Amino acid sequence: MSDGQQKKTFVVTRFDPDRDEAPRKQSYEIPVQPDWKVLDALNFIKDEVDGTLSYRWSCRMAVCGSCGMMVNGEPRLTCKEALSQYGDTVDVGPLANFPVVRDLVIEADGFMEKLTSVKPWIIRAKERAVEEGPMRQSPAEHEEFKQFSLCINCMLCYSACPVVANEPEFLGPAAIAVGHRYSIDSRDEGAAERNEVFRGEGGVFSCSFANECSEVCPKNVDPAAAVNQAKFNAVIDWATGLVLPRGGDE
Amino acid sequence: MKHLLLKLEPLIWLLFGQGILLGTVLLTGWVLVVGLAIPLGIVPADALSYERAQMLGSHIIGRVILLGLIVLPLWKGAHHMRHIFLDFGGAKRDVLVAPLLYLLAASGSVLAVVAIVRI
Repeated sequence: MSDGQQKKTFVVTRFDPDRDEAPRKQSYEIPVQPDWKVLDALNFIKDEVDGTLSYRWSCRMAVCGSCGMMVNGEPRLTCKEALSQYGDTVDVGPLANFPVVRDLVIEADGFMEKLTSVKPWIIRAKERAVEEGPMRQSPAEHEEFKQFSLCINCMLCYSACPVVANEPEFLGPAAIAVGHRYSIDSRDEGAAERNEVFRGEGGVFSCSFANECSEVCPKNVDPAAAVNQAKFNAVIDWATGLVLPRGGDE
Repeated sequence: MKHLLLKLEPLIWLLFGQGILLGTVLLTGWVLVVGLAIPLGIVPADALSYERAQMLGSHIIGRVILLGLIVLPLWKGAHHMRHIFLDFGGAKRDVLVAPLLYLLAASGSVLAVVAIVRI
């Protein structure tokens, strides 16, 4: 720790379910390096100042999606956020719109349930035999869904979404984007099944298109575009169902 | 009611989407023509004279355009109001507010049809 080294104060949300009735704030003034990310500062606090601080992190390169937190009130991937862009005081809290397990760790079970409810895998009416060879896909067909497949499930979009805040059962941006990614995959035949989920309670039509999800997405997935495309496809599917009653799509 | 609203959601969203399109594109053009182009003399004032408007409203294509211009933004407005209400934490009263708003839009639509048929 050399003299004159820049210092910043981190106001971190702490919550121990065994001791605290409600989350509280704790301040740490620490020396920082110019090239640090927000996560580096949290790691410094954990290693050098207060080993009881709990938070999730893993890859340090914006791929694993586990270090999402509220930084100065905005959902951010802390491993991607340069510390230099913030002032002398940085507020770090757990992702909004999620139950808190401890300190900066949130409960993601609800999100995982939503994610599996949209069946994010290739659905085939009839299983394809290995002998039939690979299912070929053109670059153009791949490009159709590529952007939406880049989601890392970091859940920042759920923290930013005003609908999730008011309506916790809303499927939410990431789950819809990931489900839609499979529905528009040329190898998939499960769009009708997913449309049932999309049109159901808390489905795509709950979205009021605030676009906040796309604003905060660290991977430029543009979930708001996916939600709107999913709405359109759900409407087409619904209208087709009126003209061609069940079985029309078989 | 909740179930019915959920079932009608695709239809309402379709009307809402078209209403946005018309509201932002055509009505903006309308305001530009009536609010700026005519007062500034860029478009002659008699372009929208009673006789010409009457002719437009008497033609089947003109009637369809008028109907779309009135009805679709009504549904857009109703749906938008519902979502604003929801955004302000009105989820619990949605089963009352949503039918009321859609009833207003539906009544306006019926009135518009009657008025346009009688032109």
